Amino acid sequence: MRDSLGKFVQRKEFEAASERLAAGKGDLTDPKQGITEAEAIEQAKQGREAAFEVLYHLHKRRVYSLCLRMVSNPAQAEDLAQEAFLQLFRKIATFRGESAFSTWLHRMTVNVVLMQLRKKGLPVVSLEETLAANDEAPKKEFGTKDVKLTGSIDRLQLQRAIDRLPPGYRTVFVLHDIEGFEHNEIAQIVGCSIGNSKSQLHKARLKLRDYLTFMRAEKAKTG
Amino acid sequence: MKCSDVERVLPELLDGAPDGAFPADFETHVKSCPACSNLVSDLKLISSEARQLAATEEPAPRVWLRIAAELRAEGLISDAAIREPESAPTRPILVPTSRRPRWSARWLAPVAAAVVAAGSYVVSHKPAPQVAKQQAPATRVASPIPETPAATSASAPTPAPRQMAQKPAKPTDTIRPAVEPESSEEDQQFLTAVSTRAPSMRTTYENQLKAVNADIRETQAYVDRNPGDTDARQHLMDAYEQKALLYQIALDRIQ
Amino acid sequence: MASFQQASLEQTNLRQATVVTLVLVTCLASAALAETKKEYRFTVGANANISVDTQYGAISVRPGSGNQVVVMATLKSDNVEVDQQQNGNRIEIASHLLQGADQQTGQVDYELLIPPDATLNLRSSTGPLSAERLQGDLTLEGADAVVNVRDVDNGHVHVRTMRGPITLTDVRNGHVEVVSISGDIHLKSVTGPLVQANSGRGKIFYDGDFGSGGNYRFTTHTGDIEALVPADVSADFRAHSVLGRVRHDFPLQPKHSRFSAEAGRSFFGTVGKAASDVVLRSFSGKIRLKQR
Repeated sequence: MRDSLGKFVQRKEFEAASERLAAGKGDLTDPKQGITEAEAIEQAKQGREAAFEVLYHLHKRRVYSLCLRMVSNPAQAEDLAQEAFLQLFRKIATFRGESAFSTWLHRMTVNVVLMQLRKKGLPVVSLEETLAANDEAPKKEFGTKDVKLTGSIDRLQLQRAIDRLPPGYRTVFVLHDIEGFEHNEIAQIVGCSIGNSKSQLHKARLKLRDYLTFMRAEKAKTG
Repeated sequence: MKCSDVERVLPELLDGAPDGAFPADFETHVKSCPACSNLVSDLKLISSEARQLAATEEPAPRVWLRIAAELRAEGLISDAAIREPESAPTRPILVPTSRRPRWSARWLAPVAAAVVAAGSYVVSHKPAPQVAKQQAPATRVASPIPETPAATSASAPTPAPRQMAQKPAKPTDTIRPAVEPESSEEDQQFLTAVSTRAPSMRTTYENQLKAVNADIRETQAYVDRNPGDTDARQHLMDAYEQKALLYQIALDRIQ
Repeated sequence: MASFQQASLEQTNLRQATVVTLVLVTCLASAALAETKKEYRFTVGANANISVDTQYGAISVRPGSGNQVVVMATLKSDNVEVDQQQNGNRIEIASHLLQGADQQTGQVDYELLIPPDATLNLRSSTGPLSAERLQGDLTLEGADAVVNVRDVDNGHVHVRTMRGPITLTDVRNGHVEVVSISGDIHLKSVTGPLVQANSGRGKIFYDGDFGSGGNYRFTTHTGDIEALVPADVSADFRAHSVLGRVRHDFPLQPKHSRFSAEAGRSFFGTVGKAASDVVLRSFSGKIRLKQR
């Protein structure tokens, strides 16, 4: 466990990095917004630490959140986010702007996570998943239950339900419903058919519905 | 269309139907079947709510510290070569220029990063204790770090610590951290800076630094005797992170 | 006799002069240390972001009414000023020291009333820092600062200090991360999906039920860890002190085969349905899991 520093000073660090770059730039109008992503990329290509730092702070939440959703383990997610950024920074000199920087980073992050899942022997995408043996959610028949998740879904409950998804389902759900990838992109990234991606997504949503319904029922019982 | 037909076509329709326009027979069934109607609205709700989970989590500061340390170790950071001149204008965020300049202690940041990196290195490499006692301290951090702080402190010269990164790089199989916990040059410069800028805090920071260094020393000694104790190694890493935290607090708080 | 009277008169005059001088000096000193109170008001939208940064002084935050942010600042002298800036939904308040300011003359105490859903960042070297009845994310940082957080729902709470004691009470449903180099950490009725506390030399006290099916991680180097929990707790416990002693009052059911218990130095096992995951680690501190 390497969790002793906590999540504290990112905004300040970002501002400090931005400020440092801006100080050198000299035409700053807003110290907090003083450096554009494109400028930071160019300066990162020259090896400026503050430029790397600006890019990191611009994208850290998206990258880390993606990693955390995929692996449901903060320490592991940190390692993966670190690796994704390092891979990106090592290759930044080759970035020519054909695609958006965020898209490039995003794709790289997904690849880093999937590689890690494969290394650990976890299914990136699965044809058949069953509920884990110790799963508390009851198995329900499709279309026969009279339940409804009215209103909105609590963010933490949804997160907890996603954490309980089998890895294969989770991957497709995270990539599609959270991160906004299309099925054809997912098929290409994880190496499955488009139909398989759609099917996985659907099953993931069904499972989440079961989990959420179950959680609500449990919460109602305990008051 | 029956419920089972809905089950069959739903995966295709739910994301594929433009603007939620479903085939007529599908719509007809869903309207008349509460179970399927609830199902469709629930799945849509889950999908839309999931979107809000993107980019909500904040990584810990150590993630950047480790990245920065690694970038330095790989020589990808080369600020020294393109450092802005000393006369570069200050750009405080809130403090007007006529007032007392803020002291920039940003040189502490790479030190803090390197402390964590050194700690990580100790934790991730299982040393042979007898070799450890024979080798001189060395570092895995290879690239230079700026000797002077960022331009924001142009009018308030800060110490120019000889960073550990400026020491010659040794092969990565060296097993001691770069930062000697007691009386390292960085620590002395750190305390000198505190004395200059916040004399009332000097004793406090010094005592805290001594305590953290003592913890590192104690844990290092234990790890040397018990190199296979992974938990102790983790505590050693934690102790290094505590030291990095001390530097970071100084970085943030001393003006 | 006359000379005695003369001497007595001179002494009286001297005394009077001394008194006058003392009064003058006191008045001047008081003037230099005169407190000034300032109030700032801002209107914000939902989920505003509010930062207060002071080198010396207390910051306390409570919920106010509507979408108003009210900042009441007490400046201890003319050697310190307050900068304030609003940029849309972001408000930044910072005190800055002028030449010659020290811990006494540079002190600014802040009281804030804010919309409960705002994200809050408080920084003060000396503190104390306190926040209560809020629902947004809170970040509190200090060097020597005493920190008190109470009644926070759904927000993430991040605290770090060098040595000030930290107390969190009735904090729920958010990520809680507390770190101190040597300050004690008290967590009372703190639950959530992630609760982490780390103190190098301070102690960690937990009084609660390890609820919410969360991950609880408490770590110290030399400080003791003590958790007081009800008998019907539902958690998977792992505790280990490299050099200190560990004790518990629960009939733990062994679960983790890869974690080998060392008598007196570690324990592990589950209670109830093991909904939460609790890890207690120390290098040389004592660890005690007590039943309430």
